[in-house]
Amino acid sequence: MLRRYEAVYIFDSALEEPAITEKLGRFHALLPQPGDAPIEANHWGKRTLAYPVAGRETGYYVVTRFQASGEMLPEFERALKLDEGLLRHLIVLDEGAQMAPTPSAKDAEEDDS
Amino acid sequence: MSRSQKTCAICESGVRVVDFKDERLLSRFLTERGKILPSRLSGTCARHQRQLSTAIKRARQVALLPYIKGFNG
Repeated sequence: MLRRYEAVYIFDSALEEPAITEKLGRFHALLPQPGDAPIEANHWGKRTLAYPVAGRETGYYVVTRFQASGEMLPEFERALKLDEGLLRHLIVLDEGAQMAPTPSAKDAEEDDS
Repeated sequence: MSRSQKTCAICESGVRVVDFKDERLLSRFLTERGKILPSRLSGTCARHQRQLSTAIKRARQVALLPYIKGFNG
């Protein structure tokens, strides 16, 4: 059974945007969508982390929404864990929340993109 | 003396689902140290308190909210 999921990725902020897009493309190749619809991705860009993760103070956030069946996810997550440029990820069931970031004042001034 | 009536701030704001990515909303329901505020103090209804606690825990996992505020060690 296909279900809608929402994923948040935190990439190493040292990575360039093309590299991140390339990685996302590689991840998403593991998740064939019905009707070959593209996976929605919302790039939040560089943000300060609330606490250091793997020694990094900032991370590049991407939020995506996709459809998948439960059996596909363990394999997908394994691929995510093997990627060194990805600091952290979270996959949850999509509850219809918005994907856009809610900008906080301190991030706005640090955002140089 | 009766206790003052508290109303659920989330019901009033008309939010349908509490989103774990909305750190600004969530941070209103944290103590100074970053703990989850009990509904006894915040006045949130049971349903929204449940949604809030899940959302705050998810936000912590993706480093949008700190586990402990003001801890530098």
